[in-house]
Amino acid sequence: MDINVKQVRKNAFRVTKTRGITASRIRIPGGHLDADLLPVIQRIAQEYGDGSIHLTVRQGVEIPGIRYEDMPQVNQLLQPLIDRMGINQEEPGTGYSSAGTRNISACIGNRVCPYGCYDTTAFAQRIEKAIFPHDLHFKIALTGCPNDCAKVRLHDFGIIGMTLPQYEKDRCVDCRACVKACAKKSVDALRTVNYKVERNHEKCIGCGECVINCPTRAWTRSQEQYYRLVLFGRTGKRNPRLAVDFIKWVDEESILKIIKNTYAYVQAHIDPNAPGGKEHIGYIVDRTGVQEYLKWALQDVNLPDCAEVSSPLYWSGLHY
Amino acid sequence: MTVSNEYLSHWAEIREVIPHTAIEYTFRMAYQGAVQPGQFFQVSIPKYGEAPISVSGIGEGTIDLTIRRVGRVTNEVFERYAGERLFLRGPYGIGFDVELYRGREVVIVAGGTGVSPVRPVIEHFYWHPELGRKVSLIAGFKSREDILFAEDFTRWQEQMDVILTVDNNNGDPDLRQGLVTEYIPALAIADPARAAAIVVGPPAMMRFSIQALLRRGIAEENIWVSYERKMCCGIGKCGHCKIDDVYVCLDGPVFNYTRAKDLAD
Amino acid sequence: MGYRLSTDAMNQVLAELGKQYAIYAPKCYPGGNTFSEVDCIRYGEVHTVEEIETERKSDYSFKELLLPFSETLFFFTENTIQEASVIEKDMVIFLRSCDLHAVRRLDEIYLRNGLPDFYYQRLREKVQFVLIGCPAAFDSCFCVDMGTNRSDNYDAAFELRGGQVYMAARHPQWEALLRQYGEPVEGFAPSYVTETPTRVSIPADLSPAVAKSTVWDEYDKRCIGCGRCNYACPTCTCFTMQDIYYTDNAKAGERRRVAASCMVDGFTDVAGGGSYRKKHGERMRFKVLHKVYDFKQRNGYQMCVGCGRCDDVCPEYISFSAILNKLEEAMQEVRGDGQQ
Repeated sequence: MDINVKQVRKNAFRVTKTRGITASRIRIPGGHLDADLLPVIQRIAQEYGDGSIHLTVRQGVEIPGIRYEDMPQVNQLLQPLIDRMGINQEEPGTGYSSAGTRNISACIGNRVCPYGCYDTTAFAQRIEKAIFPHDLHFKIALTGCPNDCAKVRLHDFGIIGMTLPQYEKDRCVDCRACVKACAKKSVDALRTVNYKVERNHEKCIGCGECVINCPTRAWTRSQEQYYRLVLFGRTGKRNPRLAVDFIKWVDEESILKIIKNTYAYVQAHIDPNAPGGKEHIGYIVDRTGVQEYLKWALQDVNLPDCAEVSSPLYWSGLHY
Repeated sequence: MTVSNEYLSHWAEIREVIPHTAIEYTFRMAYQGAVQPGQFFQVSIPKYGEAPISVSGIGEGTIDLTIRRVGRVTNEVFERYAGERLFLRGPYGIGFDVELYRGREVVIVAGGTGVSPVRPVIEHFYWHPELGRKVSLIAGFKSREDILFAEDFTRWQEQMDVILTVDNNNGDPDLRQGLVTEYIPALAIADPARAAAIVVGPPAMMRFSIQALLRRGIAEENIWVSYERKMCCGIGKCGHCKIDDVYVCLDGPVFNYTRAKDLAD
Repeated sequence: MGYRLSTDAMNQVLAELGKQYAIYAPKCYPGGNTFSEVDCIRYGEVHTVEEIETERKSDYSFKELLLPFSETLFFFTENTIQEASVIEKDMVIFLRSCDLHAVRRLDEIYLRNGLPDFYYQRLREKVQFVLIGCPAAFDSCFCVDMGTNRSDNYDAAFELRGGQVYMAARHPQWEALLRQYGEPVEGFAPSYVTETPTRVSIPADLSPAVAKSTVWDEYDKRCIGCGRCNYACPTCTCFTMQDIYYTDNAKAGERRRVAASCMVDGFTDVAGGGSYRKKHGERMRFKVLHKVYDFKQRNGYQMCVGCGRCDDVCPEYISFSAILNKLEEAMQEVRGDGQQ
């Protein structure tokens, strides 16, 4: 059997432990899928795989038990999934054009969850559109609110939804529901002064508990969506660590630009001898220094006036 | 048609401050106008707030307001002294109709600050001994330090049977010991069927005292109570004092027990 | 006489009215609700027909126009008190029949229950009501059973039918405006609801004895005491007083009143630290009986107008109408106790 495993991998198939057998990895940006596409996955699994599927940790689907020689047929069958999810592709019918940049995962977001501050899937799809296909190993995750159910701090880019609470004091009746909720469920950023509420903007994490708990609509959400962007969390062998805060109250456009800038930075700085061409961004930043990274990352980024950039950035975590 | 603005208070001069306990003072206020025992005023201090305070004394051109130092509203009052002024509006509510007690034996049972609203009634009997056939007063406080109107009790003893009790008298011969309800069974009541009773105090104390009075043969329609409730307006608007279909500020705070007995908070 | 107007013509009528009146109607506040990207429908000033939300029920009622959530009563310095001023313009309020019935309840408390309320009255005298024709009930409405589905005490009636505005006015000046901008139509009467998906039945022998029923117990745990039901209710009018002194001038300040809720902690707190109805089930009983028993005892008609907003707004999915429908069983339960 003669297989170019590098091409196999780039085509989003896995080189498995079983000789002759591969697995197809389906991207589902934002983790939301039209149910009528499930039969496509089912058919591939039943006709070319072993009849099972695996739900991946990044919200994709992996279909195991596929013979390498069936990859072209599988790629043909994948086309409706690729089309419907708007995955950028070099040539129709050839499957995924790349696999380095991983599926962009997201919690269920505000399509369903009451805490969600934005449509996580839509933003994930927008990022996917902007960066895929790419061979660089990037992990991006989005979560709807600071509860961080998507555990985005384990990713290279973690995007945490925020709302900037708007307070209409003439609708406030001093029921204190917001103050209590903020103290018990969030960061205790609210104080009652003269029977009205004062928000400590420095402390506020934009979770929206005040809005959710307000019975009179004295608290509402900002029309603008804001995010907290956190950088370079990772698990893995040498130095597992949580992502650190980079920008608070940042907007969607800036996040997209920063991610794209980071691709350019990695291309310029990645170790040319990295095994498999894979070097984790965080280790590159460790090597070049944060200042060099920031120079690239913030190039031509127009942050909103309210954005707060953390400095210096410092990661800790475990060192083995 | 423009109606008058009932929410606007009027300045009243503090004539005298009479301390009772560490936390309770009586403010004798200059006041011209008719006031009924049992009625209340909305007393306010600008920048802090308003609270309903029962009239604890009615004098010539004065009213007494006995105020307990609890909460933000009433603390401020204690920092003011004679010559200073307070904002008042009122009087509000339906008080005690002392004419109803003319020629009858009257039993008054009061607990703690509940003595304040009945004090004008007691004073009325004190100054008009010809009105009541016989007045018995049972007043209970937590301790000697909590006793309000201590000097008045001494004076009242001249005209009426007074039982002053505290939870623990620590051997003090001037004070009885125990709950007010314990002294109801032994009260000398010659004609229970015609006797009248007034009960004011904390909810549990009122409930048990009334039960004891009923057991003594005092009729439900001859018992009156006064209720303390949160009030923000005094004029049937704010809703805080509503119990069932009754507004304490409009229909009370004094109620005949036949009405009060069915009221459930 | 009714009139038919294009929306453009109606907007000209509104512009004319706007010279004298501030015009309020239910309108959409995009993304203005509790959860993200969920609209809030509540009252606000409108200048065009397009701004008037007629498709969706308003989450909050008109009452905040007459009894603002937070209202300054007067300003004070050490020696002076100055009444807060009232808005200069007169007001037009667009509302549905249930809410127009609620106005009567507000008047009952604020003009008649005890001394009249100065602040309410001075606003009330400025208001003209425009009834919004209501052709179909929403899921949680039960106006028909509460007898609030029809109103004829409006100053004008308004309805959108097939993209056209139908109006009728009793106010002579408005009538003239409609004649100028619209064409007369015979027999226009605002639509009203004749059946509702939600039905309620209140036992004829309902009495305070129902307080002893176990029906209230489940709300000890289910209800979170947030007060949304009260704040959304068009007939809840309780308030709490607040005195504020300015942080930059401790000798001056203002007295405000803010909407209060009998479901929220602190409603019954007295100065000595006592309080009543600590359990949420007791608060629920108090509220329910106020709406469908106590008020009627005092004033001869039910307070609840059946708008169903309390059902819609409850984050714990507690349905007021469902409670009303449990009252019969609750009465049976307490009657049974009496017989034993």
